[in-house]
Amino acid sequence: MENYQSSVDAAFHALADPTRRAIVSRLTKGPLPVKELAEPFDMGLPSFMKHLRILEKDGLISSEKVGRVRTCRMNTERLAVAESWLSEQRKLWRARTDRLADYVETQMSRTIEDAN
Amino acid sequence: MPTEQSELTIERFINASPAAVWKAWSTPEHLAKWWIPAPIECQVVKLDLRPGGGFETRMREGEGEFQPHVDGSFLEIVPEVRLVWTTVLTEGWRPAEPWLALTAIIALEAQERGTRYSARVLHKNAADSRKHEEMGFYDGWGTVIDQLAVFAERLK
Repeated sequence: MENYQSSVDAAFHALADPTRRAIVSRLTKGPLPVKELAEPFDMGLPSFMKHLRILEKDGLISSEKVGRVRTCRMNTERLAVAESWLSEQRKLWRARTDRLADYVETQMSRTIEDAN
Repeated sequence: MPTEQSELTIERFINASPAAVWKAWSTPEHLAKWWIPAPIECQVVKLDLRPGGGFETRMREGEGEFQPHVDGSFLEIVPEVRLVWTTVLTEGWRPAEPWLALTAIIALEAQERGTRYSARVLHKNAADSRKHEEMGFYDGWGTVIDQLAVFAERLK
């Protein structure tokens, strides 16, 4: 649970910036070389690279350099983490509900019977 | 963001009366037994069943100190029928900035041989899972998560 939480936090931290969201958005369509990826953004390459490094550090994207071209791609596993947050909440509440049912049906009734 | 992406409902039949289920929810000693999964220990600090009454639980693993878990307030209490609480307000309706904003609507419905139990949980939105300081980015999030959903679909 805690590991899950920290990975979600990292994913959302990475996406907490409009530029980084736009980068992710572009990369969902497929891998792109950095130069091409940076084109629509009105900022210098050093600033742009800083955003890429955050996305890469938080595991949302990965990059690979072949020759002189660095290509970025989505890290699909981490994306699934961000996407499945609600289903994780659902699991948590499902388990909690099952524990309640189990408790009421077995342990608590036993306690009541013992008291009687 | 569409509401279906930020709320969830759990329903199940419990083979016990609404009175018994209500007791498990409304008595600190009982609540502590099922609220948090073992081996994590649960401490019920506040369970003040009235509108604006505090609802606070803490948790700890092993011998460490108890850590914050839920700190909220009750909104509506209809014994054996309905219990509504939120983390957006704490005791006395004081506005809070919880790490996870949610409102939970617990409903009990008597059935022939037990209880139809449901927990409907409303979240601010599906992205609301990080600390408040990082919350400056709702704008545009819906679009991104929609794209992520489409993308995730393609991976299946």
